[in-house]
Amino acid sequence: MSDKPDGAIGLKVVDAFDLEPELRALLRPNEMAMGKAGHQHRLPRYFYEVPSHERAKEVRLTPHLGLNEFLLVDLKEAPLIRNYPRYIPCAVRLLAFYLERLRELVGQPIHLAVNGGYRSPVHKLAVGITPHMWGTAADLFRIGPTLLNAKDAIEKYNRIAEDLSDDLWVMPYGHDIGSADDHIHVDLGYISLVPREMTEDRAEVSQAGPRFAIEERRRGDRRTFPQPPPTPEPPGPPLA
Amino acid sequence: MHEEQVPGQARPVARRVVTSFLVQKAAESPAHGTLIARTEDSLYRTVLGVKETHGIEELGIAFWDAETTIQWSYNADRPFHAASTMKLAVLLGVFRQIIRGELTADAPVHVRNKFTSIVDRKPFTLELNRDSDPEVFANLGRTMSVEQLAYEMITRSSNFATNLLVDVVGVPAIQRALDELRIDGVQVLRGVEDQPAFEAGLNNQVTANGLLRLLRLLAEGEAWSAEASQRMREILLEQRFKSGIPAGLPKDARVAHKTGNISTVHHDAGIVYLEGRKPYVLVILTQFPMQAGDASAVAEVSRDIYESLVGAMA
Repeated sequence: MSDKPDGAIGLKVVDAFDLEPELRALLRPNEMAMGKAGHQHRLPRYFYEVPSHERAKEVRLTPHLGLNEFLLVDLKEAPLIRNYPRYIPCAVRLLAFYLERLRELVGQPIHLAVNGGYRSPVHKLAVGITPHMWGTAADLFRIGPTLLNAKDAIEKYNRIAEDLSDDLWVMPYGHDIGSADDHIHVDLGYISLVPREMTEDRAEVSQAGPRFAIEERRRGDRRTFPQPPPTPEPPGPPLA
Repeated sequence: MHEEQVPGQARPVARRVVTSFLVQKAAESPAHGTLIARTEDSLYRTVLGVKETHGIEELGIAFWDAETTIQWSYNADRPFHAASTMKLAVLLGVFRQIIRGELTADAPVHVRNKFTSIVDRKPFTLELNRDSDPEVFANLGRTMSVEQLAYEMITRSSNFATNLLVDVVGVPAIQRALDELRIDGVQVLRGVEDQPAFEAGLNNQVTANGLLRLLRLLAEGEAWSAEASQRMREILLEQRFKSGIPAGLPKDARVAHKTGNISTVHHDAGIVYLEGRKPYVLVILTQFPMQAGDASAVAEVSRDIYESLVGAMA
């Protein structure tokens, strides 16, 4: 864990392997997770520690975006994740940078939806993995006075976001999974950010015990994997 | 006992339950027993009169008086479209989850106008009205607590809050709440404004006896716990729609109740608190021919029952 707060936003950076086991089991740092089409991605390991709701409101990621906007969740998020201190992947700063550019382009305030910023891997909205788990996706439900719940509005702002940068992916308008009809979704993909002050050279395994339950289970599975019956030794040469 | 013959339908039954109170009173004074019987006769005739005057197609009534322990019902096991009286069951389901520690009253819920039909699993949205549902509408895109939503669901009969809570708690948990409290006659299949479900005939249903049982548990502090029952009663006492049962009562009466109105049905179900006596529970369900609904019938029945009870006790 870094004792120095991140210079830019004044929050402590945390290696999630150093967190309490219950929290680690929910955040699953550095664990491979299966995405669409069988692609695997490594979940984030470095998080900002947000000590309180007041602090979340104080911290500005950009001139117009507060950290608290990326932490808005409801009871679909696990209670332990909702409690302060809260943790948000460091890559959220990249997302905020792009959203600030989008705000400049549209010339109006942009509003993240509840559950539209960071979601943990156990968030109940998760259908497989999503860049929300990396802190690199945003669902916007309103831009200026316009509620984004109609095809025209969604497609208009989707085009603007797409034109802003090739780094941004937008979700098409539609009613099914993989599309959106009451918000616009923009994301940067699966980006993990390693803050300058962190070192990656140390072992991931906690010195006090197993990293997290799922790894232990895997090890257990390997230990108990059925072994082929021992091959009988070939008979030796007859004794003279 | 009186019965009414309705061609082609099961005959509605008006039934009194002769309780220990009445037996005792009748033993003390045969004249009192006669008075009760006369009251019931009078009530029955009045109810039939209201039914005819207002052109009510179907009428279901159940009441239970904690003061006299009189229980009386008319056609009380006939299922009606629940309309918004189903929100009583949702309230019960929410408190069940809170009592079990599966939910907290202050848990935040995303106010999002997107729901799923139980028929085709396709999404649908509610026609939102800023005037009738100002609190929930104002929080669109933000969060409200479970308790705030429960309050809006009951006091303003917010459909938006109701569907959000049904999503949070789940229909199975709501039905389990009813089953655990042995409330027969209340069936919850879905939230509100699920048009494909309505067209498929999949509707929430209530009987007068079912709602009577539910409210009686609340009145007696036996819905999960005394504290939970009290909190639910407090919410119901804040009801803003007063054209049903309260309209037939003296101004100082307090009523913990829930109305249910759609084009063809007008219901009200509540606990009536009058000064100087124990409360009574009253459920009035009315069904009208298409688009001919008349909410004043509920108030009229409420007034008749109040006057009958006061008369019986005089």
